[in-house]
Amino acid sequence: MRMKTTLLAAVSASVMMLASPGFAATELTVQRFFGACDADFGTNTDVAKAVGECGIITSMINKFNADNPDVHVSVTTVEWPGYDQLTAQFASGDAPDIVTIHESVLSDYQSKGLLLPLDDVLNSVGVTPDSFTDAARNGVTRDDGKIYGLPIDTWSLLFHINMDLFKKAELVNADGTPKLPTSVDELLAEAKQFKEKTGKPYFVQPTANETANLAWNLYSYLFQQNSDFLADPTHVKLNTPEAKTVVNMFRTLYADGNITPNLDYGTGINAFLAGDGGVHLNGTWVIGDYTAASEKSGTALNAGGYAVYPFPQLFAGDKAQYADGHTWAVSQKDRTPEQLAAIGKFLKFFADNDFEWSRTGHLPAYKAVLASDAFKALPHRDTLAPLAALGRPLPSAVQRRFAIQDIVGEEMNAAETGQKDTDAALTDAETRINELLANL
Amino acid sequence: MADQLTIRETAAPAAGVRVPSVNIYAPQWRNFVFVAPFLFFFTTLLIFPLFWGMWLSVHKADTFSTGRFVGLDNYVRLFHDKVFLQSVWNTFYFVLLTVPTLALIGLFLALCLNRRTRTAAVLRTLFFSSSVLSVTIVTLIWRIVYIPNVGLLSTIYGWFGATAPAFISDPSLAMIGIAIATIWWCIGLPMMLFLSALQQIPQDIYEAAALDNANRWQTLRSITLPSIKRTFILVIIIQIVLQFQLFGQAWLMTRGGPNNLTKPIVLYIYETAFRRWDLGMGAAASEILFVLILIAAMAQYLVTRNKGDQA
Repeated sequence: MRMKTTLLAAVSASVMMLASPGFAATELTVQRFFGACDADFGTNTDVAKAVGECGIITSMINKFNADNPDVHVSVTTVEWPGYDQLTAQFASGDAPDIVTIHESVLSDYQSKGLLLPLDDVLNSVGVTPDSFTDAARNGVTRDDGKIYGLPIDTWSLLFHINMDLFKKAELVNADGTPKLPTSVDELLAEAKQFKEKTGKPYFVQPTANETANLAWNLYSYLFQQNSDFLADPTHVKLNTPEAKTVVNMFRTLYADGNITPNLDYGTGINAFLAGDGGVHLNGTWVIGDYTAASEKSGTALNAGGYAVYPFPQLFAGDKAQYADGHTWAVSQKDRTPEQLAAIGKFLKFFADNDFEWSRTGHLPAYKAVLASDAFKALPHRDTLAPLAALGRPLPSAVQRRFAIQDIVGEEMNAAETGQKDTDAALTDAETRINELLANL
Repeated sequence: MADQLTIRETAAPAAGVRVPSVNIYAPQWRNFVFVAPFLFFFTTLLIFPLFWGMWLSVHKADTFSTGRFVGLDNYVRLFHDKVFLQSVWNTFYFVLLTVPTLALIGLFLALCLNRRTRTAAVLRTLFFSSSVLSVTIVTLIWRIVYIPNVGLLSTIYGWFGATAPAFISDPSLAMIGIAIATIWWCIGLPMMLFLSALQQIPQDIYEAAALDNANRWQTLRSITLPSIKRTFILVIIIQIVLQFQLFGQAWLMTRGGPNNLTKPIVLYIYETAFRRWDLGMGAAASEILFVLILIAAMAQYLVTRNKGDQA
């Protein structure tokens, strides 16, 4: 009798499970960079309490899981930027459903038909591209006019400024704002003055083990000179007077001791926090940490304050600087309507909560957030808001931009630090990149 | 079970009847079963990739497609690529920096620690202990030593008011910095090989030398070194093959910089195949590395064969 009852119970349970698939949550696999911080935020669902890129994104996904019991998102965290792993996953047919991809890298995967165009999915949940900022919309739209990533931010390199040292260097305007250069000559003169008054270099810039920082600087100042260095997305022109001007500017600054030598990315941050230089060339993502340091008494940034600005306009051309952005992209594979609906929900959640993500320091990807009082009330956002109009990516058809960035950075590093002539470095960069682009 | 019965029946002949003995070394197909697992993995993980790599190296291939046949184009492109030629030179330079040093320091340590004292045992363990660490830990430790401003080296130099050499970013020091970390990491194996060789030298030769009033230098030159000559060659060859495959230290400490001066061939292959997605050219570079290591391995074979002939 007991046996029969057990058997019946088991059969009934099995039938119920088979007959009611609606009870099973739709599984989504998400892969992201931004680090791991489960010890601090692994179970946190109160996004407002989270800080930093990792804390905020972890808490947002926790909140999404808690708010949507019909969807379960499992997360894999990869080391930045994770593209080698993602490429291998795509090659083996085991890509995650949703993955963080830089706008600058979308073309590589999109050109191979590996990414799902998101227009229909976004339309189905009421997210329309006209709600994106121009920089974000350009960044995620490819040449076929379709959208291949949900933008979550726009980021760029910035001038992070130690105001204490700027005051000592007498580089402060009457209104208390830092005096930033308006031409190459002015920059060289101000750097010289800074060194004379403070005994420290004007710039803190990582030059060891670093390529991206140097490449982004070059791109920005080429934009400001209206250089058409990638007018043809399969052929770069770098051995130009415009590029020489930029490289020679950095070369002179380095040779005169106005750039910190031998620092890598991590030691660059430490050097700036310790007050070893006036301007740290670093991205939007450190604003939160530097603001926190400036509010803590006894720190170098607390002594005279911390300010942050977009790149100064050194040339007479376009008002522009290099920008990129983070997106959520979706892998191309066969999916059920439920899975597509779950992906739509996830993307909408991030679009709706972009303000929380903008607390990281990145610029929001949505016009409404950019214009909101809540965003404007965040520290330093008044000085950074112009970035939404200034930010410019490389042309969307250019592929292998991370590899190009490495080559530009390697050659520029060699020229800046005096290991190679400017002409030789730019010629080599041009040759290497064109060889790469000719063999895609 | 049936086989066992057959053997028993064969092995118990009737009295006075001579049964031909079974040659247990005779080839039998069923023995193949015992080596099949090894052969399967050997073929799929070594033989197949070896030939596939050769095939890829003559094709225009990326990570998602194998593309068209291009003959030797990938090899021609490689030899026109300054960075590849630089990476070949870097690899040889690194081998030159590390292999003789590893052999000499390994020998020196083995000679010093070849004694039955507790101190020697502790020191042997200490010197070998770095070998068990992963490359990530080793490079982390050495980055903490080399890091500017706050690193160990900077701190020590700071005590004397001096500036520490920039082992990570100085073009003339970066490879030496990687070599120092590598020697610290790899010294355990040569030391152990020399120790085992030293312990195989018969004691009576040393006793005879002592009776002949040979001093320590004469004993070392005439007995110890000739006795471990073959081990010395073995250490050199093993280290050449190992150090040709430099990757982790260069990737984690300098990313191949500054100005590509610490980029070894394996890092070049990684960047070309997996970051640029140019699988064909990456495979071609791999074939060249394969040939270089093959030459080193053949050298080992030839040297040891000649020694065997002489013996």
